[in-house]
Amino acid sequence: MAALIQISDVSRLYRRGADEVHALEHVSLEIESGVFAALMGPSGSGKSTLLNLLAGLDRPSAGSVTVAGTRLSELSDDELAAFRARHIGFVFQFFNLIPVLSARANVELPLLLTHLKKAERRQRALTALGIVGLGERAEHKPSELSGGEQQRVAIARAIVSDPEIVVADEPTGDLDAKNAVEILKLLRELASGFAKTIVMVTHDPRAEPYVDVIHHLDKGVLVDGESEKSARRGQAR
Amino acid sequence: MTKYLPFVWKNLTRNKLRSLLTCAAVALAIALVCLLMTMPAGLRAIVDTFANNTRISVHNEAGLVYPLPYAYIQKIRALPGVTGAVSWTWFGGVFEIEKGVTFPNFAVEPEHIPVVFDDYEIDPKQLEDFRRYRDGAIVGRATLERNHWKIGDLVTLRGTVFPIDLSFRIVGEIPNQRAPHFWMNREYVDQALRAIGSSLDFLGIVWVRVDDPQRVEPLMREIDAMFANSEAETASETEQAYFKNFFSFLQGLVVVILIVTGLVTLCIVFIAANTASMAVRERVGEIAVLRALGFGKRLVFGMLLAEGMLLSAIGGAGGALLALVLTDLIRSQAALAPQMGPLGNFIVTPTIFVQTLFLALFIGMLSGLVPSFGAARRSVSEALREVV
Repeated sequence: MAALIQISDVSRLYRRGADEVHALEHVSLEIESGVFAALMGPSGSGKSTLLNLLAGLDRPSAGSVTVAGTRLSELSDDELAAFRARHIGFVFQFFNLIPVLSARANVELPLLLTHLKKAERRQRALTALGIVGLGERAEHKPSELSGGEQQRVAIARAIVSDPEIVVADEPTGDLDAKNAVEILKLLRELASGFAKTIVMVTHDPRAEPYVDVIHHLDKGVLVDGESEKSARRGQAR
Repeated sequence: MTKYLPFVWKNLTRNKLRSLLTCAAVALAIALVCLLMTMPAGLRAIVDTFANNTRISVHNEAGLVYPLPYAYIQKIRALPGVTGAVSWTWFGGVFEIEKGVTFPNFAVEPEHIPVVFDDYEIDPKQLEDFRRYRDGAIVGRATLERNHWKIGDLVTLRGTVFPIDLSFRIVGEIPNQRAPHFWMNREYVDQALRAIGSSLDFLGIVWVRVDDPQRVEPLMREIDAMFANSEAETASETEQAYFKNFFSFLQGLVVVILIVTGLVTLCIVFIAANTASMAVRERVGEIAVLRALGFGKRLVFGMLLAEGMLLSAIGGAGGALLALVLTDLIRSQAALAPQMGPLGNFIVTPTIFVQTLFLALFIGMLSGLVPSFGAARRSVSEALREVV
């Protein structure tokens, strides 16, 4: 069976004035369904660029990205947006919740793009908040929540529409050690208990025990990957 | 699409003071536009109030300042369909010349006033006195009140057109708060002029009363044809047209005010656009997150545009309501206090109300167009890189 995420010989070139910056060069990678994968590497190694490409937020300069059987480069911007809404949930370093909305309303946002009725949207948002342990804090505004709680709300928002894939860009980067571990545990649980495929960009070495596979990038090149998979998977569970 | 409205509304209320100030700016501009839009219909109503549809004015084709031979009036009175004709000749008298107290004063034939100006509702007894007393004068209520005169008072007007000063006895009034006229007996002026070796053998305007509104147009053509190719050709016009000429300078003023209002509206567009730009710039990250979550470009564009239009519509409704309340208040006051006079004719009609609401929506749309378009088009990954 084909991998859920297939990245084939992908390069990404940026232009900064007269200069060309090779953010990614000939990267090939496959991530199977239900796997919790980490992308690690120093700053500027191309981790976030790779994450953006496989999440359909950016387009490669060369190569192809296929997610859930769909070649993303063949989609228009609108189709890509619809694809993201259906297949991908996002978690960001700085939570990026809408400050004027309650936790429930934030979680409900992706459901506005569905045909669900208001009551059902509300119910699903509360369920997602329950999964991340914030059912009691549903009507609180982001400013009334701690950093860890805000990131949990962001995770609830990422899973509320039941996507196959959750991409997380430095989800523990703005959290203290305790909250960081809690978030890693939660993501692990989503992968194991809810069969989500999770791709996480991180610098955090504490993440290693929780992930199935780590892909290292350096200067836009994938330097290792599959070799770590079996070793980590055992520890993570 | 209504499911997005609560989200749009929440975004509007995130900076309440800014939204309130923008709303107030739009409201004031719309109130101003609303009031100005009442002016053309208001002026028409004033003209209709003043003017009678069976009264026409005949004056020298060269202009109102040029006289007509007095003999014309007899020929006009003889025409079929003419029930009466009275001449107005500018006397140009000034009361208290050092204070510059002046008003329109005309020499008229008292015996023809009741027929030609029967709608002025002048007391028949006063009209009778006007005919009886050679030095009698009938004065409009506006001039009476301004000079604190009353019936029975004696006043002297110093001639500025003719070298004579004449004393008058006020025998009646035109019971209309807006009437400034001072009518005097033509024969009295003529006799005074004859005493100094001159005479009043010309007239300024002939007011003609017609028996049937349908005959007005043909009669005007007939009068002008009768005096065609003479030394003083005539130009006839309805009373409404006559007043419109007087009001034409106001129409020009309205055009100027409309231009200024247009510029004010444009300023409001820029102010609202600035607000929209600031709101969008502050939310680059949020907008990028929405795009990442699957909100398409068009949807994001539509929601941002809806914010501006909703804010503008609220301001517009407030402004239109303000104008409505203001004009209603003035109208009710005008009914109680007639000195407020023509102001009562300015009415915010349902059409004006709806038109200005659409203008407010247009302001909102125009101001939100560029910032919303820019935000919706922006690359998600680039925007996220700035904030994440």
